[in-house]
Amino acid sequence: MTSTTAPRSTGRDLFLVANTVDELGGVTAWTHQMARLFQGAGHRVHVIGVHEAELKLTLPADLGYEVTSLYPAHPPTPSPVRGLNRLSPAAHRREGRRLADLGRAVARLSELFRAARPGAVAVVTQVWPMEWLREADTAGLRIIGMSHESYAYTRACHRYRSVKRNYPSADRWLALTQEDADDWIADGMHNVGAMPNALAHLPEIPSPRTAKVVCSIGRLADQKGIDMLVDTWAEVAPHRPDWTLRIYGAGSDEPDLRRQCTELGLDRSVQWMGRTDDVAGALAESAVFVQSSRGEGFPLALMEAMASAVPCAAFDCAPGVREIVCDGEDGLLAPPGDTAALADRLLRLTGNPRLRDAMGERARVNVQRFSEERVLERWEELFALLER
Amino acid sequence: MTTPEAYDISCVVVCGADAAALRATVRSVLDQTLAGTEAVLVTAGADDTAASLAAADPQRIRLVHAGPESPACVLRDLGLAAARGRYVMVAAPGERLERHACRNLFEAGRRTDADLVAGRRDKAPAWHKELHARSRVVEDLADAPELVTRDSLSGGFCVRRGLLGALSGAGRAHFGVRAALAARSIALVPNLITTGCAPADPVRDLPRAADAQRDTLELLHGDDALRAARESAFLSDHVIPCVRAFLPLGPDDRREAADTLARSLFSLVTPEALGALPPVERIGVRLLTDGDADGVQAAAYALARPGTVVSPLVRTRDGRVRWSAEHADDDTFDVTELGHQYRQFTDLRLLNRVTHCLRQGAVLAVGGRLVVPLGLLDDRPALAARLDLSVRGGRAHTLSVPVRDVRQEDGGVVWRAELPLTGALRPRGIGDRVWDPRLVLTVDGVPVTTDLLADKSAVPTRATALPARPLLTRLTGDTWQPYVTATQHLAVCLLPRRRAARAAQALAHYVTHFRPARKLKPVLRTLRRKREALHSQRVKLRVYRRILSQLPVSRGLVVFESHMGKCYGDSPRAVHEELLARGARVRCVWSYATSPAGFPDGARLVRRWSWRYLWALARAEWWVDNQGFPHALDKPRHTTYLQTWHGSAYKRMGFDEARHRTRNAPERERLRRAVGRFDHFTVRSEHDVRTLARAYRIPEERLLRAGYPRNDRLVEARERDEREGRFPRPPLATQLGIPDHRTVVLYAPTFRGVPKKGQVVQLPLDVREFAERFGDTHVLLVRAHYMEAASLPVTPPGTVVDVSGHHDVSELLVLADVLITDYSSIMFDYALLDRPLVHFAPDLDAYAADRGTYFDLRKRAGGPVIETQEELLRTLARLKKADGEWQAARRAFAAEFGSYDGGGAARAAADLILGKKARA
Repeated sequence: MTSTTAPRSTGRDLFLVANTVDELGGVTAWTHQMARLFQGAGHRVHVIGVHEAELKLTLPADLGYEVTSLYPAHPPTPSPVRGLNRLSPAAHRREGRRLADLGRAVARLSELFRAARPGAVAVVTQVWPMEWLREADTAGLRIIGMSHESYAYTRACHRYRSVKRNYPSADRWLALTQEDADDWIADGMHNVGAMPNALAHLPEIPSPRTAKVVCSIGRLADQKGIDMLVDTWAEVAPHRPDWTLRIYGAGSDEPDLRRQCTELGLDRSVQWMGRTDDVAGALAESAVFVQSSRGEGFPLALMEAMASAVPCAAFDCAPGVREIVCDGEDGLLAPPGDTAALADRLLRLTGNPRLRDAMGERARVNVQRFSEERVLERWEELFALLER
Repeated sequence: MTTPEAYDISCVVVCGADAAALRATVRSVLDQTLAGTEAVLVTAGADDTAASLAAADPQRIRLVHAGPESPACVLRDLGLAAARGRYVMVAAPGERLERHACRNLFEAGRRTDADLVAGRRDKAPAWHKELHARSRVVEDLADAPELVTRDSLSGGFCVRRGLLGALSGAGRAHFGVRAALAARSIALVPNLITTGCAPADPVRDLPRAADAQRDTLELLHGDDALRAARESAFLSDHVIPCVRAFLPLGPDDRREAADTLARSLFSLVTPEALGALPPVERIGVRLLTDGDADGVQAAAYALARPGTVVSPLVRTRDGRVRWSAEHADDDTFDVTELGHQYRQFTDLRLLNRVTHCLRQGAVLAVGGRLVVPLGLLDDRPALAARLDLSVRGGRAHTLSVPVRDVRQEDGGVVWRAELPLTGALRPRGIGDRVWDPRLVLTVDGVPVTTDLLADKSAVPTRATALPARPLLTRLTGDTWQPYVTATQHLAVCLLPRRRAARAAQALAHYVTHFRPARKLKPVLRTLRRKREALHSQRVKLRVYRRILSQLPVSRGLVVFESHMGKCYGDSPRAVHEELLARGARVRCVWSYATSPAGFPDGARLVRRWSWRYLWALARAEWWVDNQGFPHALDKPRHTTYLQTWHGSAYKRMGFDEARHRTRNAPERERLRRAVGRFDHFTVRSEHDVRTLARAYRIPEERLLRAGYPRNDRLVEARERDEREGRFPRPPLATQLGIPDHRTVVLYAPTFRGVPKKGQVVQLPLDVREFAERFGDTHVLLVRAHYMEAASLPVTPPGTVVDVSGHHDVSELLVLADVLITDYSSIMFDYALLDRPLVHFAPDLDAYAADRGTYFDLRKRAGGPVIETQEELLRTLARLKKADGEWQAARRAFAAEFGSYDGGGAARAAADLILGKKARA
């Protein structure tokens, strides 16, 4: 079969289009990770953001690929002049200015696309930028749209309508897992594929899993369900008096969570660690990883824990979680929201060092199916498929 | 394969006579997003369309010629042999491939390395959708038997070309099944692959399907299970649709079809497969194999209208009911389970076939023949009949014409009527243009209404038309035209035939369909939308928040609601009755969800979410309810909320529910606010305090430890039992027609959620078996959701009573001698009566694992916990003897879960309401 890889030496022009190029967040990190990988594989990468972010991510001075933002700041949301506003010159002026800016941004985009060599691909990593791509001249360009969250999560929010409006015409619409892809197909999309996120790197030395520490890494926000984790720990702590729960991350919910922790009398066994940049270091000091999220896409933290050979206990809250963790083999899953079940999984992992070691080692091996090389290979296969 | 893989997918199309269909298919192949797709057109003899298509794009369209008169399977195999793609697929002319179909199939094939990749086709039956619900790889056919037992692979799949050499069998056997049997692994994907498949014509297609079935069964000879499954699937997928298709066939057509089909079905209908079918289907198939054309049509009518009697049923000596006298000895024709023998004569639906319908002078002469079952005419009763004509669309405008000629004739009733349409039937002309005649037969004074089944050939258009004289002049229509409806019934409609009426009709059509209507319709639509928006929940909510809830309190106004307005019952009713009994000066308002039927006359009734409802809630001094007034409605400052709650908890509730915990913060906050409105919360025991009060975070001072008002009745009944015994039964027994000597069993399972569309819900308990075993001594009251109750089978009168619509469940509890339930909270209440209680919960473990529970029912139950129907019936049979063992457990259960239920709950609640009022 001629399928597997398009000859890498030739390389293609790849455009990665995101909301912003320098925002603090998972998708931006993913965009630059993939840009670096594609560039390393011989492609010519151009990262395009709709606008520049306010809270900036510190990027290295020389990325090795081009980065462009279409707007200096967040563009105004379209507000058609309707009703009494029709009498207001200011409203007309605002709308006129917005349209002129839009025209300029689209022209810039078209110019970039026209300069591309044949076989170029635009990967739209977030839903919003497609509004600009639909206006721009994309002749000869293949367009791949991506969702970085589970189908159920998109379905519940405003992005769903935008996806259904803008993406049926794309060459491919990528979900994070095959299960999410099936959901999109059942929803009436015909161009759906699946593409996992890549695990950034494998730590040299796996965690020894000797410290009696359970760790959790994630923003202290409602979506991450730390309140449920504290409830869970209240059921675990009495049985494991010598174990500690370390909660890494910061967020607006912190005061409430600390209060809850105090009320449950867990202050002695819970440590609030704050934000960390050294995830691998934090994992190296832990023996078990726990994730109690209400919703997830393709959780990176879970992959990183597995890469450090730390076995995980997690709520089975999204297809991405099931895809990463094989329940009972390299980690333990609990029904979402069932804190008693999650406590049970934690008790099993903390109470049995042999189980912990076996699962941890298997996790480190299994998670490598999401290694950068493997994921890059899947991307190359996708590019080849779209060209057939 | 020797030919190199020049393409990714080759699509073989066997050309037919329809040029447009072929073009559509070929265009869909060329339009594929996967560019490496070729079309291989196979023609028998010369075909101009195919040749011109191939000439237009020789790169991607290949032409294969075969000799004329070659059978379709030979043509297909020639095409497959000529294909050059990595995968091959077959499409019938007219079928169109979805634009991304080949790309999706190719991608799935490469991802899974499967030999066969199959996707969905549109308008496929439910089982096919189910099969393709998720992407998966099947390596053992037992995991997806439909691939070979049903015609799942009749299109929309591709096969690795290398596999073609390994196919076993040949000729007419199903290609999909041959490929599936040869494939090492099969990938199933949920993608839509083909659309526009030709609509099935079961009668025409059956002979070919039968040939394919024979050869396919040969292929499956090694696997008896698959073979048997294919034999039954053949009946449900091909033969039964064919039986159904007999309904619209005329006498000659159906006779011809029956002859052909009986021959082609020879030896394909096995007794095992036939025996597994429901009665009417079974008989229809059997009659088809016997070649009985009229019998098959009658069965088709019974299938289209379930519950219709279409044959002269007979009762055998051993009490069974059979289809007809000539089949009385054949078990295949047993229809006892349809329960026609238990129906009242007036409730029967009978087959009434129109034998002739003709104009005779100024009247329409109609005659027919009516089937009368079970020897109802044996003792020569007095017969009378009339024809009722009523306007379609429900208006109660009816014309009755007496039928002069009704007589008995070999087991049926023959009738003949003359309808003076012109003179007697005077419609307005607008809004009453279609009339349905029905025959009302009266046997010894008891009437039964029957619809008229007619063949198109029995109602000739020209020879039946009569002049009409509408009240709004003959411009609205001048002719009465009898015709046969889509459901094969006789009807009469008003038509314009003369020039004046036709012109008026054309004008009316212009006004209502063209420019005037087009101008007016959007205006009306906008107005309607604006009006609806004014009454939308959003607007109501805003008015409630900003204006209504600021209004001053109306002293003495109490708003009651039970189960979100579904019924007048439960604790709110008990409180209401207590207030009435005391003659308290309060004004009571009850809310109802859909219909005010069954609610008390004395109280003011308001529909849930109506303006009056919001007005009442905003001004009320008290809210009394057992489940929750709409969460979005905040309680006004001046209102006190008495939440009586609807049952102690077995499954986890509120903030303890896993499902609730996974909701996001705003949703959880909404529940917290809704629960924060409760000022008083009644509890029955410390168990409630530990579970419900904790789950809803209700503080100690708001708990009303008085028991449930609804249970006062139970406590009182128990005291009466001890004082005077169980008899006489309460008046409800007489209402339901329950004699004193029968044991009353109440079956009240938990509602398991609204079923998905098209899914039939069944009660876990087989009511028919209960009726057979205990019909003489017991009566079963069934209280289920109305959708489950709808599926109750017909049983002898007085053995099974549906009480799902009864408003107050505690009345039923008092009436019952035994309660069968699963894990419904009704068990906690019933225990107060100290009567036998049986838990019938086939899915207890699954439910407990899914929902989470507060305690282990098996350890703490006050009666046996049973998982199978057989065990349940055995337990019921020896209930009196075995009950002694359970008495102690039951009393402990009642004491634990109902410690505060002392009979004074309603009093306490009324004191609370009136006491507050006195202070105010």
